[in-house]
Amino acid sequence: MAVAWIGNRETLVERAAAHAAALLGSSRCPVFSLDTDIHGTRAAIALAERVGAAYDHADGAAVSREAALFTDKGAMTVAPGEARRRADVVVVVGELPQIHHQFVGELSATVPDLSTPDLSARNQREIFLIGSNEMSAPRLSNGRIATILSCGEASLGATLAALRAQWRGRQTSRPVSNFDDFAKALEAAHFPVFLFSGDATEGLALEMLQGLVTDLNRKSRASGLHLSASENGWGSALASTWMTGFPLRTGFARGFPEFDPWRNDVARMIAAGEADLHLRISSSIVQPQKKRNRMALIALAKTHEPVAGAAVTIAIGEAGVDHQAVVYSSRTGSLRSVDARAASELPSAATVIRLVASHVSAEAALPC
Amino acid sequence: MLTKIAGGDIIDPVNGRLGKGDLWISDDKIVAAPAGGAAERTIDAAGCIVMAGAIDIHSHIGGGNVNTARLLLPEQHAAHQARPATTPLSNAGWSTFQTGCLYARMGFTTVVEPAMSPGAALHTHLELADIPIIDKATLAILGNDDFLLSMIRDDASSQMIEDYVAWTVASTRALGVKVINAGAAAAFKENVRTFSLDDVVPSYGVSSRKIVKTLQAAVDSLGVPHPLHVHCNNLGSPGSADTAAATIAAAEGLPLHLAHLQFYGYGTEGKRRFSSAAARLAELVNATPEVTIDIGQVMFGQTVTVSSDVMRQFSARGSAQPKKSVIHDGDGNGGGIVPYSYGKDFYGTMQWAIGLELFLLIDDPWRVFFTTDHPNGAPFTVYPALFELLMTREARTEMIAGLSPSAMALSTLAAIDREYTFEEIAIMTRAAPARLLGLTDRGHLGAGATADIAVYRRDQNIAKMLGQAAYVFKDGDLVVQDGEITHYRWGKALRLNPSPDKAMLRRLEDYHQQRYGLSLDWFDFPDTAIAREQPFGEVACRT
Ligand SMILES: [Zn+2]
Repeated sequence: MAVAWIGNRETLVERAAAHAAALLGSSRCPVFSLDTDIHGTRAAIALAERVGAAYDHADGAAVSREAALFTDKGAMTVAPGEARRRADVVVVVGELPQIHHQFVGELSATVPDLSTPDLSARNQREIFLIGSNEMSAPRLSNGRIATILSCGEASLGATLAALRAQWRGRQTSRPVSNFDDFAKALEAAHFPVFLFSGDATEGLALEMLQGLVTDLNRKSRASGLHLSASENGWGSALASTWMTGFPLRTGFARGFPEFDPWRNDVARMIAAGEADLHLRISSSIVQPQKKRNRMALIALAKTHEPVAGAAVTIAIGEAGVDHQAVVYSSRTGSLRSVDARAASELPSAATVIRLVASHVSAEAALPC
Repeated sequence: MLTKIAGGDIIDPVNGRLGKGDLWISDDKIVAAPAGGAAERTIDAAGCIVMAGAIDIHSHIGGGNVNTARLLLPEQHAAHQARPATTPLSNAGWSTFQTGCLYARMGFTTVVEPAMSPGAALHTHLELADIPIIDKATLAILGNDDFLLSMIRDDASSQMIEDYVAWTVASTRALGVKVINAGAAAAFKENVRTFSLDDVVPSYGVSSRKIVKTLQAAVDSLGVPHPLHVHCNNLGSPGSADTAAATIAAAEGLPLHLAHLQFYGYGTEGKRRFSSAAARLAELVNATPEVTIDIGQVMFGQTVTVSSDVMRQFSARGSAQPKKSVIHDGDGNGGGIVPYSYGKDFYGTMQWAIGLELFLLIDDPWRVFFTTDHPNGAPFTVYPALFELLMTREARTEMIAGLSPSAMALSTLAAIDREYTFEEIAIMTRAAPARLLGLTDRGHLGAGATADIAVYRRDQNIAKMLGQAAYVFKDGDLVVQDGEITHYRWGKALRLNPSPDKAMLRRLEDYHQQRYGLSLDWFDFPDTAIAREQPFGEVACRT
């Protein structure tokens, strides 16, 4: 089975890697977009330092909003295990990515076992949904429906602001639906948990949510459960943070890591024509993209054919499927080791990136 | 390869070797002078002192909370100009790579991350594996976790508790056990806002004291070399000296280590009701031989407090500078990240003076350990300046001149003459930490020891001398010359490996299935997950 191509021509992985290295070496402004596991990320950042690249998650906006909550304001958060064992009131904040719907379903099907809260006669958690009926909401157990907290057409941020104001006893021009139920639930709650993600949630809404959580903690307890828009994205953000001090959207244009979420937004750099070389690392099968400009593409993807328009394509395996991997798990809120579900010969992203890096001339040893 | 470090002043208190001489290394070990052997490499150490590599027993260098602190404060650690590319990613302002390089340059070769949340063990070890050059180790946190608290509540046998502690240590690859404000994080989740040694965790009816005593006994009985590492209740509050005193008394003949005692050295005298209780605590430590402590020295400037004492960090949020923080209710402890700047005002001066008083009033350098609780009291990069304060009274006097007189009036520091000798420094930062951690292969320069060696060129300026080692060897590799990294390598994480009890494994499997809806393997990992050749080094339990 072919695993490497230069253009549309099949070649040896070693040759494709050398060619990729040569392209990276002569690039004026290389950019990396990542959708990979922890070791793939580590290898990519080590390579980025070597070639002066900026890097971002492949779908960087949502993960960047989540990182910005921490870099700009901080937060109160709770581990998912604690949420499952302690939350007597669950509040879904806006539209959660599909990958988290199962966990919400699980919360609706279980009851907390810690601190024995009084769940009254119903013996179940109370579940609210901030947003509107049109959203694709997680399916709850036994056909239950979450109580909707909405402010008509208002944005999520505005709804949260209204909720916070009403909770503080202030007048609001437009009251939040079902607020009295919400207030009653919070009054009785031991540990309400707000589930949030950076997906489809503007940064301001995340800050407003944290404001509400802070208010609640004046007299009782509450916290937020961060359910990342992308597990790979958040894992990459964590690895980037320990390796460089900074989350994604860090770049090495000047030889040392600089974090600038606007300047190093890789999608922006590509759209603006700043980037002249794009290294795309994605173990999932990537749909061929239409080439927009003269920017060269190096594609590392789980593919059996060359990626359309790519100067170099190298096939890689999928983390946790083709090879053992370490990934971020929002189910534990930490990193997790996963075995290969269907081990194959396909190399990991980390292996291929290291191979590319070994062809980039440098004095220093590779750290990853 | 046979190396001779020639003509230095050897300071090796463990082997009673003090004075001019040669030190021989063969590959990764220190060896006796070979009869007629010729060195393949000779290091001229004339005018230098030669000590074992230093060991830091309490420095928050990696793991979930440390990484969250990085994430919270990108503006605090902007990277600087590119250095020659011999040490990748070490010019990042606060990276794992930089951490290893900075420690090595000061002659430190082993550092303990003292607060690993068991659930974040893999994350912690991945970070530690990206800290180059030095060896690392971790302490696993217990004492706020439901499994342990439930066992204590239900009067589980001490054997069962030991099995759980052993499983935790083994599965998290830890070198010891730490308890952080025992019971308080669990109580905080039930809206309790202050918590003392005899307070009881709601829903469990278990006191903080009971948790500490239970873990202390289990750690001792399992033969874990490092005594239970205790972060007491009431950290940072005026009057916390009473809590520390009560915890020292609770040692009751079994070994106990109290972390960052400076943060509990606070009395309630003076018009601000905040005073030094250092003399009192030092006297108690002097009189309690089973107790060891580290200081957690405060030095002035911006830092960030990183602690799994989530209750205390929550209450400190108001003093955050800059104004942002993270408070995380974790499985068990969680943690809080609160940036803070220590000023030379009354409070900052008081804390600074209390730390130094403890250093200077505790007599036995085998029982007091050199830490700033990095980064809580100050980043570890202040170590050279702190050595100078301990070793020269003049440096203290100079410093005091610029500090708050009203604070100094409540402290005995200005009247203390003591100056640490190099031999005492070698005990406090080498010999004693190795002994306290059960690392017989290091902390000394005897034949057979691991060749972790720091050579410092004598200088009137102690900070300069100890800040930039002339030569550092790690496992026999020459890694530093004239304060610069010359060789890049990967250290190990030192760990215990007690074999887990099968019945306990089944219990834990059931527990995780029932309570988390997940099998136990979600919380464990194979060594290969670290992706380094030899990520771990095994240390034996006491038998
Ligand atoms: Zn600490």
